[in-house]
Amino acid sequence: MSAARASGSRWRLRAAQLRAFAVRYAGRADGMIGLVVLVFFGILALAPELFVGPLETATRASAHAFDAPSAQHLFGADDLGRDILNRTVHGARISMTIGLMATVITLVFGVVLGLVAGYSGGMVDNLLMRVADFFLVLPTFVLALILAPVLIEVVGADAEVMGIRATLLVIIVVIGITSWAATARIIRSQTLSLKERMFVDRARVVGVGPGRIILRHILPNVMNLIVANAVLTFASAVLTETTLSFIGLGDPFQPSWGQILNGAQDSGAAGLGAWWVIAPPAVSVVLVILAFTLMGNALDDLLNPKSRVRR
Amino acid sequence: MSARYLGQRLLQAIVTIAAIVLLNFLLFRLMPGSPERILLRNPNLSQQVVEATRARWGLDKPLIPDQLVSYIGSTLEGDLGYSFKFRGQPVTSVIADRVGPTLLLVGLGELISAIVGIAIGAYAGWRRGGLVDRVGSGVSLVLYSMPYFVIGMPLIVIFAAGLGWFPTSGMTSVGGGDRPFPDNIIDLARHLALPLATVSLGLIGQYSILMRSSIIETRSEDYITTARAKGLRDGRVLRAHAFPNAMLPMVTLIAINLGYVIGGAITAEIVFSWPGLGTLTVTALQARDYPVLQGIFLLVAVSVVVANLAADIIYGMLDPRVRR
Repeated sequence: MSAARASGSRWRLRAAQLRAFAVRYAGRADGMIGLVVLVFFGILALAPELFVGPLETATRASAHAFDAPSAQHLFGADDLGRDILNRTVHGARISMTIGLMATVITLVFGVVLGLVAGYSGGMVDNLLMRVADFFLVLPTFVLALILAPVLIEVVGADAEVMGIRATLLVIIVVIGITSWAATARIIRSQTLSLKERMFVDRARVVGVGPGRIILRHILPNVMNLIVANAVLTFASAVLTETTLSFIGLGDPFQPSWGQILNGAQDSGAAGLGAWWVIAPPAVSVVLVILAFTLMGNALDDLLNPKSRVRR
Repeated sequence: MSARYLGQRLLQAIVTIAAIVLLNFLLFRLMPGSPERILLRNPNLSQQVVEATRARWGLDKPLIPDQLVSYIGSTLEGDLGYSFKFRGQPVTSVIADRVGPTLLLVGLGELISAIVGIAIGAYAGWRRGGLVDRVGSGVSLVLYSMPYFVIGMPLIVIFAAGLGWFPTSGMTSVGGGDRPFPDNIIDLARHLALPLATVSLGLIGQYSILMRSSIIETRSEDYITTARAKGLRDGRVLRAHAFPNAMLPMVTLIAINLGYVIGGAITAEIVFSWPGLGTLTVTALQARDYPVLQGIFLLVAVSVVVANLAADIIYGMLDPRVRR
């Protein structure tokens, strides 16, 4: 009875905190602009078929090569006569899905290793942070460049998991491998200070095990940092994916925005003055990265105790 | 700066480089298919020839320690193996041919963006909330969100394809490098203009954003209040007191960025077919020329580590608080 009441009041407390946070977030103009842009591209990504029909391929092209924008094809067509609007809207789904999955992998690695390093301290901490430093110093993008083809060769380019082709999975994993270290550092430093707090000592004294302390007492208190960090990680994941695809490591059968720009580069669209092939995917990429950066900065100011002190 | 601090940094850099060499070694042995299967694809080769080749390349010995030791040995000697694509050419000479154009492009880009970015950031931070701050910060944030190719492609559409002011690609016109003195430089400059603008624009955001926040942080320091209380003019407080101190984090950023000069602007080079390391990376990637890829990774990684070390040392010399 009393336990039920306690958990009920805890939920009410959480809901109230969330409401208060939403009000403060709504006061941030930059954060709200970011949110609107994100919702727009999120809706496109959820159901691209609804807006522009199925993805146009070389055989399903509906226009002629390099058709300029017209009433029928708002953004014209590329070198194979494929409608650019169609491909950009479909690209939203692929770019955002890869960005999301890469962010999840980065966070899982970063948060788990950060918590373990911070809580256990000593040798484990030392070792994990040395490895993290190594990955922080490494030129991430060049490492991603050589990791991707090696991994593609290991798993085979035509393998498929849950409808996502291996080349894209490799990009997701590569982004995860090369960007977990920053997250781990942030989570570790917060864990270090949390584990000295009284409530953790109390839990330890009554005999709660380390796993349970990390899950029940430390994790909820670093949630703020994780959320703010996730949004910024997403921005850089989309950026890395776009660049890797642009360089030719993407999958032509599941075109992301970077892949569409790769096609534009290979067909020499820029030199031909065919701006309509470049502008839609390029503007989309910049808007999404900008939106997440704005949201991330707003969240960081509101949620990160360190940056709040500085204001 | 104490010798202990210096020694620690030095040791860290050496361990990191050793780890990079190890990673380079293991990564390319992860791949399915042994090197002889890739290189000796001819099915008619007799077993004896294959055995003899394996012995000659040392592939019959265990991976660790024998192969690793000989790999480290030849890496230290500057032998990075032979390119698959450029048959018979050693990796070092393939890479050396491409270093110059990249250094020219990214080095100049770093210089321009550092000067312009620091100037904009310092002024924006000093007059926080003013017109320069609002416009400059917005533009910086947008530029910061743009990968090089998203900057470069519109530049080609407008200034090369549209207005025809600059060539679309390459570093020289056909025969342009052989013309007499002023003409060949002018030819190079015309080809350099757009890629250089791309790299500079791509880097400015980073510098101006950091400089702005650094100036804002410095502005609230006590010694700035003291300088104002002494009755110094606003411009002098900025130039003589705020600016030098706010430059501390910038020095670190510039030093670290110098490490990325080598591998920095891969996509900018691709967009303009600039014959540097970036285009070489992609050529090697498409041909799955692993020795060249390995060599580029090693070069970039080592220069980044060295630049980081330099940044630490410079910072230690400039900021007395670090001299532990």
